[in-house]
Amino acid sequence: MAVDMRLPTVRKQISLSGSQSTDGKHLVVPGDVITSDTGFMRGHGTYMDDEKLTASVAGEVERVNKLICVRPLKTRFNGEVGDVVVGRITEVQQKRWKVETNSRLDSVLLLSSVNLPGGELRRRSAEDELAMRDYLQEGDLISAEVQSVFSDGALSLHTRSLKYGKLGQGVLVQVSPSLVKRQKTHFHNLPCGASIILGNNGYIWLYPTPGQQDEEAGGYYTSLEPVPLPDREVISRLRNCLLALAAHKVLLYDTSVLYCYESSLSHQMKDILKPEIMDEIVMETRQRLLEQEG
Amino acid sequence: MPVDTKRVRGPDESQSPLVFLPPTAQTCEVLRRPGDRGKGDVRPLFARCGLVSQAKGSAYIEAGNTKIMCSVYGPRETERKDDTDMKSGRLVCDVRLAPFSCQKRGAWIQGSEERDLSLALSESMQPGVCLHRYPRSQIEVNVMVLENDGGVLAHAVTCASMALADAGIEMYDVVLGCALRQDGDSCLVDPDFSEERGSWQAGYGENQGRVTVALLPNFNQVSGLHADGEMREDTLTAAVRTCMDGCHKLYPVVQQAILRAVKRKAPPPEK
Amino acid sequence: MATVQVSEAEKVYVMHGVRDDLRVDGRGCEDYRHMEIETDVVSNTDGSAKVSLGHTDILVGIKAEIGKPRPMVPDEGYLEFFVDCSANATPEFEGRGGEELGVELSNTLYKVFNNRHSLDLRSLCICPGEHCWVLYVDVLLLQCDGNLFDAMSIAIKAALFNTRIPKVHISEDEEGVKEIELSDDPYDCMRLNVENVPCIVTLCKIAHRHVVDATLQEKACSVASLLISVTHKGMVTCVRKLGRGSLDPDSIFEMTETGKRVGKALHAPLMELLQKEESLGKKRQKVGFLA
Repeated sequence: MAVDMRLPTVRKQISLSGSQSTDGKHLVVPGDVITSDTGFMRGHGTYMDDEKLTASVAGEVERVNKLICVRPLKTRFNGEVGDVVVGRITEVQQKRWKVETNSRLDSVLLLSSVNLPGGELRRRSAEDELAMRDYLQEGDLISAEVQSVFSDGALSLHTRSLKYGKLGQGVLVQVSPSLVKRQKTHFHNLPCGASIILGNNGYIWLYPTPGQQDEEAGGYYTSLEPVPLPDREVISRLRNCLLALAAHKVLLYDTSVLYCYESSLSHQMKDILKPEIMDEIVMETRQRLLEQEG
Repeated sequence: MPVDTKRVRGPDESQSPLVFLPPTAQTCEVLRRPGDRGKGDVRPLFARCGLVSQAKGSAYIEAGNTKIMCSVYGPRETERKDDTDMKSGRLVCDVRLAPFSCQKRGAWIQGSEERDLSLALSESMQPGVCLHRYPRSQIEVNVMVLENDGGVLAHAVTCASMALADAGIEMYDVVLGCALRQDGDSCLVDPDFSEERGSWQAGYGENQGRVTVALLPNFNQVSGLHADGEMREDTLTAAVRTCMDGCHKLYPVVQQAILRAVKRKAPPPEK
Repeated sequence: MATVQVSEAEKVYVMHGVRDDLRVDGRGCEDYRHMEIETDVVSNTDGSAKVSLGHTDILVGIKAEIGKPRPMVPDEGYLEFFVDCSANATPEFEGRGGEELGVELSNTLYKVFNNRHSLDLRSLCICPGEHCWVLYVDVLLLQCDGNLFDAMSIAIKAALFNTRIPKVHISEDEEGVKEIELSDDPYDCMRLNVENVPCIVTLCKIAHRHVVDATLQEKACSVASLLISVTHKGMVTCVRKLGRGSLDPDSIFEMTETGKRVGKALHAPLMELLQKEESLGKKRQKVGFLA
């Protein structure tokens, strides 16, 4: 039985010297004037005040040619078409499911956007509507892709590919959406023995690498077999590493997660979340990432 | 119950006359239990179902001087829409102590003790009721304590299960309750009010406490456990076992009472 | 308590993990999360403490006031508990949502302290039958991440250790009218003996095993928990079964034994830490709410 009690200490933000200076970044707070030049178009996070372009959120200014927008650094997930998300079903309604994806409004998964069991291609009938609850219930986790965005900002999801669908056994980690790097693929089979889905909405799913691919099931069959112990250890360690990286605001992608995992191998799993060990591991990871960049 | 705004209460300094009793009368030596009861005997129980005609089911219990009445309403549609659970029903329990029930007059507004009893009752009853058979509905159990002479929670549990059975609500098993008072090395099963409260001098001794257990007798599963005071762990374990035995002793009486109520309601056999 | 939703597959994963003594974050079944304790954070109180256990943050403030003793026990003071679940902790506590939970927590605290030995109430008496010290213990829930009872009891013990009650002096003049005088020296105060104050251990039953210090996710996978409050000598002051499920008598006895063992082992490091903090005195780096 282990109890770790200690007095709190002020934790300083560690930053590698010189590399991350804030010269290049233009940070603003609400009310700051970005520019008085009228030649620019205004994007998200700004408003026009007396011919002056002013910021309405606290964040970093982004300029693309003539478009200026301010991107807040810590925000709800604003989805775009093509993003991979991991969400939880909150409601079963007529012909659609409501999915919670850490965004302003609950996303929508229409019955016509999911694959039917067995991979059939046919029109959805009234029977399918009644059987909706047999497939996805309240509380289930799914991985999906954003198909379109409604006018009020709600996302419409689809699971029309075999790699998306209901998720089985594993661990969900919630981080801020701005920490997940946009990449070509969000599904990775890490060499350490587990698989990871980095959802753009900040929900990260860790699961044991499936042995054989059940192609025909297409995400319907969730195996309830006990996961072997070594896989569990890898998943727990990865979870703690992810939380450590998120606490230090390191961008999450497969390489950074892997480096962090390797640095943490010298410590015990449950110690990773202690402040001083977390600092050490994240420092090492940052170092390696810098070296890798060149 | 409504807030009592019209009654003129005495000044705030008014106290119960019991405070002025000479000290010797306040201590209670438990040498001999009234009614020649042994230390491990429960009080004889009088139980009847079907008192309140308006309610779906009701029950009345008398154990010594403790008198408890319970009525069950439902299953009904859930009132608060946000609490609707698609898969199982809700059990709403409400315990009220009548103002004249205790030695000291209670207040009309529900006090924290009553809320505590309601929560304890709800936790003890939930494992016994088949709530998955009543999705999206709620069942209301209202318990009224008419006279408090010890063991309120335990007898309220028994009364509530009888009322639920009388109402025809599906249950896995009848839930029975039993209370115990640990005093030094001896334990008194089903204490009355003065035994339960104990003497203030004894409070400084070792191993003082009260234990209440709610049991499903046919499954031998404990659905509610409340203990306070200060006891050793092995004493606590022995006390829980004794309470479970007490519950088993109550089972035949409760069974008889429910069957009698069923026979009265059942139509006469066709000739 | 604030609840999270979990899917069936996640529940199965957590259950199998607990069976193998490897929880989701790598802890064993009897390990606590990282805990940080600090006392004397609020200057207006007579004693205060802040505890963070994982992401659960609890702040306790104790104020001592002079009041009239209870009529049945004229030579003792008493404690009054109040727990406030603010909407800061989670949006579920908005409005009156947190009131039920707050009442449940304060009722449990009354039961835990409802015995003669936890706190020597006779030392709180000033003048038998007329004046006594009343300690108002106010608990504030700042963040909720599971295991509220344990963190709350540790915070209360730390706050009671930190409480400084000013010494009073009763003077009687010729007509027999009693006057209370507070001593002028702000450091002349009375401390409480918190040796026997119990700590609460909550054990959640998941499948056939039980875990200590459950997170919200683990709580969603269990149907019944046992709350047990233990003093440093191993005496049990309060036992409660929480949750919608029923428990086997054998599990209860197992859980009581584990609870007693874990609870007993909590006191020594806690007292050591509190004494270390006090010995640091002025040199102590006050963190407060910045970390």
